[in-house]
Amino acid sequence: MQSLSASSTAGVLLDLSGAAMLLLAFACLASKLFNRYVAYYGAQSVVLAFAAGTSAVAFHSAELWILAALTLVIKGLAIPFAARRVLVRRLALKRDAAMSTGLSTSLLAGGALTAFAYLVTRPALLPHGTAAAAVVPLSTAVILLGALTMVVRRHTVAQLIGWLIVENGVFLGAITLVATFPFIVEAGIFLDIVAGVLIMVVFVSGLTRQLAEASAAELRELRG
Amino acid sequence: MTTLAILTALAPLAGPAAALAGARARASAAAEAVGAAVALGCAIALLTSLAGARPLQGWDGFLYADSLSGFFLLTVAGVTLLAALGSVSYIAAQEDSGELSPFQVKLYFTFFGLFASLMLASLETGNLGLLFVLVEGSTLASAALVGLEGHARSLEAAWKYVIISSLGVTIALAGTLFVFYSASALHPASNLALTWPYLLAHAPALAPQSLRLGFLLAVVGYGTKVGLAPMHTWLPDAHAEAPSPASAMLSAALLNVGMYAIIRFLAIAHARLGDTYPRAVLLSFGFASIVIGALFMVRKGNFKRLFAYSSVEHMGIIAVALGFGGVLGLYGALLQVLSHALAKSVLFLASGDVSLRYKTREAAGVSGLLAAVPVTGGALLLATFAVLGSPPFGVFLSELTIVRAGFARGSPIFPLLLLALLGVAFFAFARTITAMVTGSPPEPSPTSPYRDRAAVAVTAAPLILGLAALLVLGLWIPAGLDAVLRQSAAVIG
Repeated sequence: MQSLSASSTAGVLLDLSGAAMLLLAFACLASKLFNRYVAYYGAQSVVLAFAAGTSAVAFHSAELWILAALTLVIKGLAIPFAARRVLVRRLALKRDAAMSTGLSTSLLAGGALTAFAYLVTRPALLPHGTAAAAVVPLSTAVILLGALTMVVRRHTVAQLIGWLIVENGVFLGAITLVATFPFIVEAGIFLDIVAGVLIMVVFVSGLTRQLAEASAAELRELRG
Repeated sequence: MTTLAILTALAPLAGPAAALAGARARASAAAEAVGAAVALGCAIALLTSLAGARPLQGWDGFLYADSLSGFFLLTVAGVTLLAALGSVSYIAAQEDSGELSPFQVKLYFTFFGLFASLMLASLETGNLGLLFVLVEGSTLASAALVGLEGHARSLEAAWKYVIISSLGVTIALAGTLFVFYSASALHPASNLALTWPYLLAHAPALAPQSLRLGFLLAVVGYGTKVGLAPMHTWLPDAHAEAPSPASAMLSAALLNVGMYAIIRFLAIAHARLGDTYPRAVLLSFGFASIVIGALFMVRKGNFKRLFAYSSVEHMGIIAVALGFGGVLGLYGALLQVLSHALAKSVLFLASGDVSLRYKTREAAGVSGLLAAVPVTGGALLLATFAVLGSPPFGVFLSELTIVRAGFARGSPIFPLLLLALLGVAFFAFARTITAMVTGSPPEPSPTSPYRDRAAVAVTAAPLILGLAALLVLGLWIPAGLDAVLRQSAAVIG
């Protein structure tokens, strides 16, 4: 497998994309509004599509071009659009109050996890001077931040976005570490994500409706 | 052989086909049972043709089956058959009583067959990336089963299940990436290079640092599906809320598929990193699971949760057996996989009958089972002792093998600890079940939820089949199965 050097144009662009994705993951962690979560996720996916395109140019791979297009269309546009329509608007979600820690604590934890990601992936694991050595710590940090979002947020929609951020982090790792991943596997992963989002949306709407009914019942009991 | 392998994975789609064509619960379940029986037959035929032969390999390694895959195919197809038989009366009774709408029945059989089919397919691929895709697919299909009843509680359980398992499997994908990356010195060019037989054959050339991280992430990731502590938190909720035949599928089939994935990664890690590191990882997760499982079984309450914690404990035992290693440890681990699957299927299917009759899932609400429903009560009692490792059932033999493997491999502390924890589990589990089985039934005595006597007989069929198989495994391991187990255990070496 060819490996990109960190100082090549593609390597620098991948590195920048990784940094932008990490910042967007932090933005999501620091936000309290549901439509911001969706917007940050969408932006992160667009950056990921750009990274996949960069990788496609560098490796002259038609399959990576298709993946970049799929990422842009499905993760960058379709999922954020659907999440906004079906979840945020229809369930009238605005501010997310269900957090198990304060914002500053979760941001500090996020910083610590980023440092941890560098600690785990840097020494001896990746050869110096390759693009992978620069990007993999970033993608690992994105994975950890997504997982942290899932842990500190108790709302189902926020957890769903957290999982999608983890998925983006893995994907960023995949295009830099193993650019020759077979296409059928990548396509299958996409299928899984779409099916996963669909089924999760069903559960989220069902749960929200049930909870709404439950609280209405409580209100009736208190009457008179 | 290729046809056999494909047919094994596709046969369980008979149920979804029938359900989508408009069949009602009984007919769909019968179609599913026939499909599962075909899958089981194909799995046995595949195992026979694999005996002593080269593994089946095709399509650039996307299709791969050796005796280890064959053994797990046998287990999963067998469990699917039992659970499909159990669905016949269970789902029909719920359809008759109006607890499940025709749409829910259709959903149930569609996702049941899809779930079985995806699990069987994931056992037949050599490509570690495709393995992820299929395992994640089976998670999603089974999440629909967990949330089927649509109450707030079952939706919450389904949500917890799908979000924790998806995260887990995604972590396993990250692990897979690091394992692939560890092979970059080999300059892999084709899809074949991403299959585990290739990685195993080229193990000495793998980069140890990256492989170590990849193996750990894979164990954490697929361990989430297996229900290894501390990633087990979805398991009791999902098992308690799913319809009972679906709980049997989760506990006896799905967890084993996760274990299969771990064994594949273990084989590669073992070949490159040696004994110490994989052993430490597996023993830690294994003992954590046994402790958590045994302690939570002490609490009385929902009996399906009790069975679920027993699954956590048994998966822990299997992980410990893999950690002990050696041919004996692996032999014991695989035997435990099969006998636990049979015993747990019987337990969950019997619990389905109990919850339909007594209209409760709380152990405190159930008494006098032996007097009220002798067959189910008897099966529940026998399967309880079987799953707790009393002779003459299969689990006794496998646990004995595992403890022997532990003593054979160094420090006696671990096998002694294992025995002590098994004792705690025995006490906790048997205490609850004996209270349910003995005594007198509540007044007024519970009514039969089934339409006619034939439906009652169908309920008994999977219980008797499962117990009979379990008894055979405890008394005598057929020579063919013994050869398969030995051949499979050699995969890790």
